[in-house]
Amino acid sequence: MSRSEQNSKEFSQAALEYLDALYGFAMTLTRNRTEAEDLVQETYLRAARAFGRLLPDSNLKSWLFAIMRNIWLNQVRHHNSGPQFLELDADEEHGWEKLAQTSEDPYALLLQKVEREQVRAAIQRLPVHHREVIVLRDLEGFSYQQIAQILQCPAGTVMSRLGRARDQLRLLLSGWQTEIVRKS
Amino acid sequence: MAFYLDDELHDGERQEFEAHLQSCVSCGNLLAQERLMLRTIRAAQPLYTAPPELRARINELLTEQEETLPFTAPVGLRARLQQMLQPALPTRATDSLSFGSLVRWGQFGLLRTAVFSLLITTFVLAGTWLTFVRRDLNPLPPPSDFARMAVDSHLRRLRGQLPLEIVTDSPLDISDWFTGKVSFSLKLPNYQEASGQEKLYRLEGARLVGFNNDYAAFVAYEMRQRPITLVVTSNGVAMPSGGEEIVSKGLRFHYDTINGLKVITWADRGLTYALVSDLEERGQQSCIVCHEGTKDRDFIESLKPAR
Repeated sequence: MSRSEQNSKEFSQAALEYLDALYGFAMTLTRNRTEAEDLVQETYLRAARAFGRLLPDSNLKSWLFAIMRNIWLNQVRHHNSGPQFLELDADEEHGWEKLAQTSEDPYALLLQKVEREQVRAAIQRLPVHHREVIVLRDLEGFSYQQIAQILQCPAGTVMSRLGRARDQLRLLLSGWQTEIVRKS
Repeated sequence: MAFYLDDELHDGERQEFEAHLQSCVSCGNLLAQERLMLRTIRAAQPLYTAPPELRARINELLTEQEETLPFTAPVGLRARLQQMLQPALPTRATDSLSFGSLVRWGQFGLLRTAVFSLLITTFVLAGTWLTFVRRDLNPLPPPSDFARMAVDSHLRRLRGQLPLEIVTDSPLDISDWFTGKVSFSLKLPNYQEASGQEKLYRLEGARLVGFNNDYAAFVAYEMRQRPITLVVTSNGVAMPSGGEEIVSKGLRFHYDTINGLKVITWADRGLTYALVSDLEERGQQSCIVCHEGTKDRDFIESLKPAR
């Protein structure tokens, strides 16, 4: 086996390890299974063609995420019909805030009951720029600097977005918890 | 607080914040709440699993790409290079570097002598290099990120940058302290009390350390004034790898030396461990912190390097 073939095989094996994570990120961006699958496929295709240009010490995972984000952003720009995000409107947000404030149970106890499905649904309710930082930081474990590179924005922006995203998520999760407690 | 939880503080800042936590109850409570929320989010992982048909498609795509090798020189460039090299080197594949072709090519007198001298020198140098640095050609696999983190935490503890969150010599108290703080169950053995033997080591305390988006358990010991630290996480977060591998009592141990410290990593019953010390040989004596019973001495002996 030649060196190129060897490298190519190693790349394929390493890149496949991130398939679930990339699919999750694609779902986070598109919220549509078909679009997410196409996005994953396009990401792997471009990565396979370009991996020879990846420096030896580079982080393969963050490189793949950056490729995916760029493809998605270009698609959105090109079609000028970006995904219709389900934004939290002011009333709705206020409603969650109220629920959280009226909760009499300790917050810690409430959170323990949150189901995975509810966490996933809560994340999907966030605006896309909040969803992506939550997924990149809290689920995929990228550092602020790596996220800044993936999103092509300053690290300070990552920090502020992450703070706001977590605040929103906290409200959503505590709101659901209040519902669970009320129903039980 | 977010920077602290995300492990984005520098050592000094981290130390300062931890000192503040010691005296501020409200920050401590807030930190516990935030940790709980982050753990809840992380427990939802993976958010999605790629459908099998997508996995199959990606596999197929990558296999196709493997067959189309990157960086193959364009045909035109290959032809130009062959043309340039024609007077000096044979171009037909059947002739390339065969002894016969070298003899025919060696009709250039002085050039021939120079090239053969160069070849001989190269072979001699390569032979010498292979003899003396052969070990480097087949190095041990690099240590895992988990092992590196354990060594880094050990060093930070030595420098006083990693204060313990619970200071006690009671294994039971430490086991209780970790309950609810880490996503796995950790029970530290209490061989000393059970065996009534001479106290060979002292449990100092414990704390949480961040690793791979989760909290790992960090336990500090001291044996004859030499520090030993143990880091534990679930095997879903880290698996041992790299270094010298030894199988003993059905477990696979990985030995490494990082920054002069001995680190042993292994996985057992759903947990992954890293034990760091500056002890001799492979540092196997550090295993005593959990295996002080007489029957375990054989186990520690079996981990000694062969003479």
